[in-house]
Amino acid sequence: MAIHEKSLIDPARLVTSEKLVVDGVDVSGHWNTMILPRTLRDYDADFEKVIQGYAGGENVHRCWQCGSCTNSCTMYGQNTDFNPRYWIYLTRLGLKDELLKDKEIIWQCVSCNRCTNICPKDVRPEGVMKALAHWIEHEGFGEKSKSSIFDEEFARQCLDRGRIEDMEVLTGFFSQTKQISGTGIGGLLDAINKLAWFKELVFRMSKANDLFSGKIMRFLTRTPISAQIHMGLAMFVKPRTKSWGRTGDVLRQYIKEQKEAAHG
Amino acid sequence: MSDTVLVVGAGPTGLSAAAGVASVGKKVILVEKENVLGGAPILSGYAKLVPSGEWAKDAIGRMVKRVEGDSNITIHKGTKVTKVDGDAGNFNVTLSNGTTVNVGAVILGTGFTHFDSINKPEWGFGTFEDVLTTTQMEQMVATGKITCPSDGRVPERVAILLCVGSRDRQIGREWCSKICCTVSTNLAMEIKELSPTTDVFIYYMDIRTFGLYEDKFYWKSQEEFKTKFVKARIAEVTKSPDGRLLVKGEDTLVKRPIIIPMDIVVHAVGMDPNEDNPEISKTFGVGLEKHGFLERGEHYTSTFSSTRRGVYVGGSALGPDDIDTCISHGLAMAMRAVGDLNAMVQKAA
Repeated sequence: MAIHEKSLIDPARLVTSEKLVVDGVDVSGHWNTMILPRTLRDYDADFEKVIQGYAGGENVHRCWQCGSCTNSCTMYGQNTDFNPRYWIYLTRLGLKDELLKDKEIIWQCVSCNRCTNICPKDVRPEGVMKALAHWIEHEGFGEKSKSSIFDEEFARQCLDRGRIEDMEVLTGFFSQTKQISGTGIGGLLDAINKLAWFKELVFRMSKANDLFSGKIMRFLTRTPISAQIHMGLAMFVKPRTKSWGRTGDVLRQYIKEQKEAAHG
Repeated sequence: MSDTVLVVGAGPTGLSAAAGVASVGKKVILVEKENVLGGAPILSGYAKLVPSGEWAKDAIGRMVKRVEGDSNITIHKGTKVTKVDGDAGNFNVTLSNGTTVNVGAVILGTGFTHFDSINKPEWGFGTFEDVLTTTQMEQMVATGKITCPSDGRVPERVAILLCVGSRDRQIGREWCSKICCTVSTNLAMEIKELSPTTDVFIYYMDIRTFGLYEDKFYWKSQEEFKTKFVKARIAEVTKSPDGRLLVKGEDTLVKRPIIIPMDIVVHAVGMDPNEDNPEISKTFGVGLEKHGFLERGEHYTSTFSSTRRGVYVGGSALGPDDIDTCISHGLAMAMRAVGDLNAMVQKAA
């Protein structure tokens, strides 16, 4: 017999095999589907400490499950699967597999902080949502968020040279998020070609529309020539901040140590 | 007409009542069925008391000493009351040691009996060595070392099950025992203090750490001692092949069945009516309420009256209560007894 009401069962728990032998009996065919048990078999008692190691998660152990956070949550109003109270409970008991089922929604917290303002035990649920999202990303369970990619590119340039180059940050971000291919002048041209909003931005800032509509004098008087020369040069010549020396290496080492201290 | 007061039971209630009556210069006959004074906190070997944090033997010990050192109080240990004839102001009382006394009033501080976990066999008490009651766990705390009774290992995890013998229609216990939540959170802190590597999980339906016990016990155990609270009514305690205990149930908040390994399971046992209550009811001619505790008379203007004039009842004989409240009941009953006797003397004059 096949299982009739598969719709009632979480798809991840339905295991169908082409060939299946149970206790020496071949049950391939109609009997080939097994349902994995729903039972929770253990807690990960140390997980709470892991989340407390991320900024915002420090007070998670205070929660007594009153549900004020979920009740006041902006996102819960949009999607009842967005349930901070529930995730805090899972965090406390270390039910990681359950938590990871919601890894695609946890990051959607809009940080309105209504939960944090209402929480009677000062758990700071908004911080816990951030901590969870960071943990999911840090452990590689989820895709790196676009803002993290931007931050990393920005930080890399700061640490390398003690300064950033705007165009390099932009093209670096665009290419790493696969919006364009290539960096430098090629990347810039690809961005103008592929991203309509970016093309518009570049044209307006450089007053190129004056140039194309024949108002040459107007273009020449309004376009920020020196800034463009500077940005153009910066694509090829990338100076470091004066006396930057080993500062970047020292900062990198410090960040590494801090991360190890917080997350082991 | 006698102005001597008979106090029955030498637990917190009776000790407080006896001292109260004696403090206004009246004679007291204190009768205790056990051979030691102090009641449940001493007989069951409680550890640190809620909410003072004082060891039971010190705190209750002082109450015993105060009574023993009072020349107005005559103590009969290992003795029961067998017969109470007469009326308010003039009771003729016979004791099991053959003594007869004439007293004007009777104060009942006859207390309660701990729920016997054998009556919930599915939770493993009496079957598995590592399933204990809160009183047994308190005795372990008093030894200063937390270990599994089966093989002496330090437990990685202790589960405390709340509402064992309380709030359970299946076994005819429809009352909340009131104090077990607070006792359990206190116990969780004591366990963690003695054994920092042990994690304590409390399985609850509701947490009822009433009044000022909320932050002093519930919050503190959670925030400072990292006690985990799991909303689940355990269905069964079994043993896994590796010797650890398994608690089975449904986690109400995750909506999933759970089978979780534990090293020690503690039953937070409730407070039953004193198992001698049918006998007490007959001997003293007082009624029992529907759960089997002693029945109150009118409370607002005849506070702590029983259903028989001149017989007063208070403390955990009336229903589950904490030690501090029982001590207050005792003193209040002393006031009632002495006040009523004075009124009778004035009326007679």
